[in-house]
Amino acid sequence: MSLPATVSALRDTVLRMFPHRAVPGLIPVGTPGPDSPVLLTCSFTLTLRRLQRVLAGRNVWLLAADTHGINVWCAAGGGYLTHHEVIAAIRSTGIEELVDHRELILPQLAATGVEPRRVRQATGWESRWGPARLEDLPAYLDRGRRTTRRDRRMRFPLWERLEMASMWAVWTALGGGALFALLGGWRTGVGVVISVLLTVGAVFAALPRLVVTGHRRWLTYGAFAILGTGIGAAVMLLLGAPTPRNLALQAVASVLAMAVLSIDLAGTTPWYPSTINTFRNFAHIDLEPERCTFAGDCVQVCPAEVLRLDGPTRKVVIARPDACLQCGACIVQCPSDALRFRYPDGRIIPPAAIRSTRMNMLGRRTVTVEGHDPAVTPGSSDTPA
Amino acid sequence: MSSFVFMKVLESAPRRYDRGMNLLFLGRMEQLHEAIAAEVAAPGRRILDLGCGTGGVALASARRGATVTGIDTNPQMLEIARAKPLPPGAPPVEWLELGATEIEDAFPPESFHAVTASLVLSELGPLEQAYALRTARSRLRPGGVLVIADEIVPAASLRRLAWWAGRLPLVCLTYLLTQTTTRALEDPGGLVRAAGFAEIHERRFGRGTVVLLTARRGEAGP
Ligand code: SF4
Repeated sequence: MSLPATVSALRDTVLRMFPHRAVPGLIPVGTPGPDSPVLLTCSFTLTLRRLQRVLAGRNVWLLAADTHGINVWCAAGGGYLTHHEVIAAIRSTGIEELVDHRELILPQLAATGVEPRRVRQATGWESRWGPARLEDLPAYLDRGRRTTRRDRRMRFPLWERLEMASMWAVWTALGGGALFALLGGWRTGVGVVISVLLTVGAVFAALPRLVVTGHRRWLTYGAFAILGTGIGAAVMLLLGAPTPRNLALQAVASVLAMAVLSIDLAGTTPWYPSTINTFRNFAHIDLEPERCTFAGDCVQVCPAEVLRLDGPTRKVVIARPDACLQCGACIVQCPSDALRFRYPDGRIIPPAAIRSTRMNMLGRRTVTVEGHDPAVTPGSSDTPA
Repeated sequence: MSSFVFMKVLESAPRRYDRGMNLLFLGRMEQLHEAIAAEVAAPGRRILDLGCGTGGVALASARRGATVTGIDTNPQMLEIARAKPLPPGAPPVEWLELGATEIEDAFPPESFHAVTASLVLSELGPLEQAYALRTARSRLRPGGVLVIADEIVPAASLRRLAWWAGRLPLVCLTYLLTQTTTRALEDPGGLVRAAGFAEIHERRFGRGTVVLLTARRGEAGP
């Protein structure tokens, strides 16, 4: 990578919570021809860079929809990647003149926002779900464009966790370092920078084994605040300034760093629903078995293996309700509106509301269906059938 | 990849859109809507408002008696627009969830006397801008009018720098308070000309940062 490219990659990584807008449009990888696959993606610079790296040596067309510089999952959740953006990308790029097929490979995580049926109605293009993670694309293409169970499950390997950690750690470390340098001198600042970077890195490295949801998450944060204090104290010792005041400042800084992380550590992972978004508003995925036609779209798009096809009953079952991320993908894709969200108090969000308002945040998507009492609807139960 | 933190900000945007825009334009949004409507709206005229958002321009045109269709891709914006009242006697506005590149799916050629697009074009990528303008032109009747209002960046680099510096505090404040912002166009006249429009007139609105452009589809030719 050239120096400017490295600098911009670093910048985009630590600033990844903000959109980074690449020019949307058609990006040829290799020398694609009329029968090369067409892969839809977003206009987030980091994603496009990773895609080009992963697909190097192949001939494919990347169709970058204008998601305002937001990554696929967030854009699909927030209404910035819907059938409108896909239709706009197909039409405005002139891809129809460059290929002689009409098949679009959609990232699985776009399922929260894109309705393939409406893309087909407007353009005649058929959609096929690709893997959840772009790293799995080469194998997916070699396999003849079929996903495996492994492709569909969202993974979050160490390297990506550390990338995500940098998003939190760099800013907390710089801000905290500056603040504590003012309070206690440059050594204190250096101590804070080092302890924040190491502690946040450690949190993300250990993430698969940590409890980050529910009340017990405070124990996790407490333990890492103690670790941070220890690291800060060690740095103070090395720099020859282990005064009681400095040690106290290191402890305060570590507690503050964990407080910042607790804003939404869970939502920074693909494993849990976001704490912010579901705040006091936890919805359950709910199936009306009598509506289920065994189409299987929901199983294909669920990134958390919550749903399973049950052969004998020819119905979908909610096999792992507690793993649900509340992403809504299965609801948006169900051809017979058999899935929906239900709040603990019985209110129901119908599929149409999910399709038009997307994410479930701070209760604003709450819609109560008139005359529909979920308590008496047969089959509307949280327990797997 | 999964920074859902960001989503909370995105979601609240439609609800705060009106407030954000008014702040960004120092309370002159309404004047802008009226200025656009004054160019094209009259009883009996059919108008398409592209990217109608919360409905400011479409409703201003309807108040002047025009029959307006407002289209936008954001259903939440449309919901807000739908809830806004119109005075008795004004023709009701038709609101459709449709993108600027989907005009051809809903309207046959030569359907409208005018097309309006306020703070929309700058939101689109270059290819979509060109596509949307070409289709908009084909949906206009011969002699039909296009009105575009958008922010414009000065072309000269020094003036451009001054423009950014002057704009930055207001943009930051608006974004902090309402999570809305706008983008700017560089050469709206050139875009419109490339799409086949003629009789292009540009004038400035509000201290020179917004351009109000009118253009016509010529009488002859498709
Ligand atoms: S079951 Fe939950 S995690 Fe799976 S697609 Fe549906 S909403 Fe998303």
